[in-house]
Amino acid sequence: MAVLLQSILSGMLIGGVYALIGIGLTLIFGVMRVINFAQGELVMVGMYCTFWVFVLFGIDPFLSVVITMPALFILGALLQRTLINRVLDALPQNQILLTIGIGLVLSNVAMLVFTSDYRILSTSYSSSSVGILGIHLSTPLLYCFLITVVITAVLYWFLVKTDIGHAIRATAQDRDAAQLMGVNVRHMGILAFGLGAALAGAAGALVAPTYYIYPQVGGAFTLKAFVVVVLGGMGSIIGATLGGILIGVAESVSGTYIGSGWKDLCVYVIFLLVLLLKPSGLLGKSRL
Amino acid sequence: MKTLVACIVVALALAVVPLFIESPYALHIFILLFIAVALGESWNVLGGFAGQYSVGHSAWYGIGAYGAFILLQQKQIAPWFGVWVAVALSVIAALAVGWITFRLRGPYFVLASIAVAEIIRLLSLNTKDLTNGAEGILAADLPPLKFGNTVITDWISKTPYFYMGLAMALFCIAVNFFVKRSKLGYYLQAIREDQDAAHSLGIPPTFSKNAALAISAACTALVGSFAAFYIGFIEPNQVFGIDVSIQMVLIAIIGGIGTVAGPVLGAVILVLISEGLRTTVAQAHLLVYGVLVIVVILVMPEGFLGFISQRLRRKAATR
Repeated sequence: MAVLLQSILSGMLIGGVYALIGIGLTLIFGVMRVINFAQGELVMVGMYCTFWVFVLFGIDPFLSVVITMPALFILGALLQRTLINRVLDALPQNQILLTIGIGLVLSNVAMLVFTSDYRILSTSYSSSSVGILGIHLSTPLLYCFLITVVITAVLYWFLVKTDIGHAIRATAQDRDAAQLMGVNVRHMGILAFGLGAALAGAAGALVAPTYYIYPQVGGAFTLKAFVVVVLGGMGSIIGATLGGILIGVAESVSGTYIGSGWKDLCVYVIFLLVLLLKPSGLLGKSRL
Repeated sequence: MKTLVACIVVALALAVVPLFIESPYALHIFILLFIAVALGESWNVLGGFAGQYSVGHSAWYGIGAYGAFILLQQKQIAPWFGVWVAVALSVIAALAVGWITFRLRGPYFVLASIAVAEIIRLLSLNTKDLTNGAEGILAADLPPLKFGNTVITDWISKTPYFYMGLAMALFCIAVNFFVKRSKLGYYLQAIREDQDAAHSLGIPPTFSKNAALAISAACTALVGSFAAFYIGFIEPNQVFGIDVSIQMVLIAIIGGIGTVAGPVLGAVILVLISEGLRTTVAQAHLLVYGVLVIVVILVMPEGFLGFISQRLRRKAATR
């Protein structure tokens, strides 16, 4: 029982990060109907940012969120302005290929600049754990989860309470109607892509103390983000949050009970089942 | 007719290349080129004609490679027989997957195809008894190919691989040529343009797409096992990894999707550029793929072939 509870709780902690990456992806999809295959590579860029800020200036990875998020916001906004914006009306397949191309460029530039060495960011608390009622949780993952909760809460507040948030959600609901109501949908696209990238950057900063950092690390995150988003329902932010937690728990529990080599397999099988049985996801409207 | 003659001339010219070129490196480039052409053409049957952008074709490539390798390693079946078993296995697996995933459309199909390839990659990593897991399989010495008692080749030089590669590339081009002009080809192109309209005209979408997938998977598996024996070593991430799938898509996209000549052009461009850069920028030749695909999608969405023919037409019009 303790083992089950332990693995569910650790799954929830890592699921928080998956949710963060997924929310970024779903925000971009909601506003622009573009599936960003470079989302994981943006996480990778966030991880390297965090790593170098830590190595050069000694800034704690969890504090460096305040640096990586704006940095990735600018990168995302630039990508949207210069590249993505031109294919908004193209075939979805071409949009996907464009973002795959962007991902390839990001990971290979990272390889040229930082070499393909695996890097480890080790802090004083990297391998420590916190014990609550006989359950041990890794300290960096716990911090990571708490910050994820804060970021998600701020994002909800921003989207639900502020005028710009309303404009973003209006654009996601109906692009043309939003435009007729005086919303500058072009700006909303740039903002949404920037926010999505910033969330990926935050996720990168938060997992930097627990993951190996290398140029190809993004691919795994991209795939997991898709699983999360499809599970929750494309375009639904609450769905992505829920999906992230569920996938984290599924991964952790199957890793404990079936074997760590099989956990990703279980995740993809769940993904295929959701695609086939309920392609609109748990909370999404059908968009097939 | 003119193009057919041109094709035959080019094929004959290529066939005499090994008589004049001794350098193994030059032959190696040609073999890589043949593999790339065959991969692009294989993908084009499903992605180009039917418009089903699979980013999971590494599954069929890998089943071809692993099937033939395992048969040689564990059952001592010579590759030129084992290949056909591997191809058959790949087609069966592809049909099973197609039956499930073809009800999905657009981006959902893309995601499902990636998930399927990932599942097969993870399976191959975890079934150690069969696939030797992450350690991969090193090819045993190939038995010499004999006809009666005369040894045709002992597989030491690159020349036999050159001719097999050439034959394979020509075969895949021919498959595309005939599919495009067949009834199935017209069905597929109708489905690509508008599946619902095609369906309402009595074209069976799922059956046609599965037929395209079977052809595409068979060709891909053939290339997969050829490439595996040429390289001599396979491991799950190398043959089932998403890089293989992306490379296949890019060859077709960069050249010109849904055309017979496009993937050939795409393969030539990609192989030449990435080999040219491999000597100068050692690690990141994939960077070129990324830059190229961005440029192609933004500037010439119909690929180099579409871009060139558009230019030619414009020139002819102004004259």
